[in-house]
Amino acid sequence: MSRLEDELRNALRREEPPEGFAARVLARAAATPEPRRAGAWTRVTRWFRAPVFARAAMACALCLAVVLGVHYEQRQQLERVRGEAAKRQLLLALRVTGSSLRAVHDKVHELSAGYSDAQ
Amino acid sequence: MKLLVPLAVLAACAAQAQMLKIPPSFDKLADKAEEVADVTLDANMLGMASKFLSDKDPDDKAAKKVVGGIKGVFVRSYKFAHEGEYSDADVELLRVQLRGPGWSCIVNVRSKKNRENAQVCFYTENGKPAGMAIVATEPKELTIVTIAGAIDPEHLGALEGQFGIPKIDLDSKPKKQDQKDD
Repeated sequence: MSRLEDELRNALRREEPPEGFAARVLARAAATPEPRRAGAWTRVTRWFRAPVFARAAMACALCLAVVLGVHYEQRQQLERVRGEAAKRQLLLALRVTGSSLRAVHDKVHELSAGYSDAQ
Repeated sequence: MKLLVPLAVLAACAAQAQMLKIPPSFDKLADKAEEVADVTLDANMLGMASKFLSDKDPDDKAAKKVVGGIKGVFVRSYKFAHEGEYSDADVELLRVQLRGPGWSCIVNVRSKKNRENAQVCFYTENGKPAGMAIVATEPKELTIVTIAGAIDPEHLGALEGQFGIPKIDLDSKPKKQDQKDD
């Protein structure tokens, strides 16, 4: 028992560090760069870099692109239909205007011709 | 800046006010008529229509030139199966407006024999052309055309020979009926 105690006492005896140990530890600690804290963007992208999230995000983006594309195409088509209808209306209006002016023109000529003949 | 909105609204109202007011009785005429042409195009619709006018088609090309200066087009044309489907009182409500301030009628044709009347009037605002109206009546036909906006003679010139509008030669002598131009 006393032998064991002796061995333990010997193993756990206070020992002074070698010369300059503390200074070397401090110097190495100062030289080692402090681990950088990840920024908010990095944390977000890291979250999305996980395979499940990446696929889900890609699927969502694709769905959104398709929906926006379809919506844009529908709007373009609607605008085309409206524009074509407006054009038809405009040409009809100008035709009615044209035929009315022609009728007035013909009547004026008819009256002028009658007046000239009478003279 | 806040004043600009009410001013813009007032300006829009003023632009509307210059147009002929169509009597409510005209709505009933559409039911009686055999053929109806009803066109109402405001500045937005005209802008939209002009985007679809081609530069190659002569009618489209002529229309494009006209659309540039106008703010609105209003057309009502009725063709009836029988005479007397519309009353002179209805048309008189329009003619009264054409006798109002700002309007001057350059052509006024009245034929008692054929019961055909036609008026071509221009609206001016501060001495500048701001609109045009045509009211043409026949026993079985009634046409009202109002064009709001600056009607430039050049614009009308662009329409010559298009849409059935005759080419008007101011120097020519009046032609006889059998020499009508196309």
